[in-house]
Amino acid sequence: MSNKLSSSVPTDREVVLGVLNNSEEALNKLYTGYFPMILQFILNNNGDEDDAKDVYQEGIIVLYNKIKSGDFELSSKLKTYIYSVCRRIWLKKLAQQSKKTNNISDFEDVIAIEEDVEQHEEKDKQFDKMQEALLHLGEPCKTIIQDFYINNLSMQEICEKFGYTNTDNAKTQKYKCLQRLKKLFFQS
Amino acid sequence: MRNEIELEGIIEDYLNGKLTEAEANAFEQLRLNDPTVDHKVVAHKVFLDSLKDYASNLDLKNKMDHAHDQIDVDALSRKLGPHPSFIVNMWRKNKSAIAVAASFILLTIVTIYSIQQTTEQTGSYKQMSAELSKLKSSTNNLIRDVKSSQNSKVPVKPVKFGGTGFAISSNGYILTSYHVVEKSDTVYVQNNKGDLYKVDITYKDPINDIAILKIIDKKFSLGSLPYSLKKGKVGLGESVYTLGYPKDEVVLGIGYLSSQSGFNGDTLAYQLSLDVNPGNSGGPLLDNSGNVIGIINAKESYTDGATFAVKAKFLQEALSSIPQDSIVGRISSVRKSKLSKLEPSKQVSKIQDYVFMIKGYN
Repeated sequence: MSNKLSSSVPTDREVVLGVLNNSEEALNKLYTGYFPMILQFILNNNGDEDDAKDVYQEGIIVLYNKIKSGDFELSSKLKTYIYSVCRRIWLKKLAQQSKKTNNISDFEDVIAIEEDVEQHEEKDKQFDKMQEALLHLGEPCKTIIQDFYINNLSMQEICEKFGYTNTDNAKTQKYKCLQRLKKLFFQS
Repeated sequence: MRNEIELEGIIEDYLNGKLTEAEANAFEQLRLNDPTVDHKVVAHKVFLDSLKDYASNLDLKNKMDHAHDQIDVDALSRKLGPHPSFIVNMWRKNKSAIAVAASFILLTIVTIYSIQQTTEQTGSYKQMSAELSKLKSSTNNLIRDVKSSQNSKVPVKPVKFGGTGFAISSNGYILTSYHVVEKSDTVYVQNNKGDLYKVDITYKDPINDIAILKIIDKKFSLGSLPYSLKKGKVGLGESVYTLGYPKDEVVLGIGYLSSQSGFNGDTLAYQLSLDVNPGNSGGPLLDNSGNVIGIINAKESYTDGATFAVKAKFLQEALSSIPQDSIVGRISSVRKSKLSKLEPSKQVSKIQDYVFMIKGYN
């Protein structure tokens, strides 16, 4: 069975440039271009739509990190790379759920991407740790940290948003929050 | 506390490259001199990097979720998902396994079949009546022509079937293989002196492959039979010999009993290691003491020297079919073989008078 997918996909060069420029349009094209391939793979190998979404998004993150780290060379087709990464991730998940991983129906060529996936797993752990730490931090600390470090608001804006009387108070509050968050992050 | 907050502010600015060159230099000096500050810088950098990664991943995920919402996943799933039919899925997923299983079964069948082929002595069974071709018989024909001038009864037609038979009574009953005479309407027997007698077929037993012929000439008489019938068991490896007419002259064949059962385990017959040729069928099988232990009926065509003979005990039934008053000096009345004391070569010369060539015509 080789339902080769004919939906429009961006060229590999387009994607790499788009990722490096943080282009949202490029991401959309990339995402919609290759999703059917992974959906087909997952559905035909004991997975459902949600599994496909999770696996595919992880795969795209791996690709992003790879491109952004600068050592992404177009030695293979982007399609093959994405497929191989997602396949690897899904096989690991199947193994974790102790479902059988033999008789995998493949739809594309597969290349070796073990290293990239392992690196990703390492980073994914950090991501989960951070998420966990932020969750335990509680309000208003969480929002203050997110606004300052993620949404890049200035101290002045934060001061106004949370109604602190002056920026020094806000800074003190942020400092305390950050200390707690660090503690949670490094301890877990 | 105050200082701590100030310090962290500076570290952040330093890491983000917001300090002026002079400030940055001063701060680096501070790091060199104060290990605690240096440690804080490193720890803060690791933390900030993680936070940044977290932020960018989160951002990416949000964007992807947004992109994902634009895809009609259900429609795609219907198109790309596995076939709803269980069997089709089964086939798709286990194509290779099914193929392996199928070839294994095929291989097994072939193997079993070939094993059977080799263990069975199939199709190589060949009865030893000589079905003489026209070419061969043309030479016979010449001889017959000569003979026919002596005996007006002899037909001019060429011999169609040939075999061997032996006397089982002194008044002209002759035992042979059924297949020797089965296709013939007219049968003659010829003794070793070349005298020809017409016979009737008085008994036919296709199952045991036995036929009994009777010489029509009432004046025909032999001396009392030199051999007896041995119905008991014959040991494996015992020497045996036979006399027969694969050609116009009597031929002696010597061998030994190689198996108690015949072709494909047929218990009616013995297997012998004995070379016979077409024409030997119906010939007597004798042991060294001159007892008839069987009647030659076939050989295996692809194995040299594997010959089969019907066991003597199955001849008994045939013999009892002959009317008791018409039989004189029959074989079963011979108590003890007159040959038992003689050497095999001497036995042969005595016996050959009682062995006949069977000639069938149709």
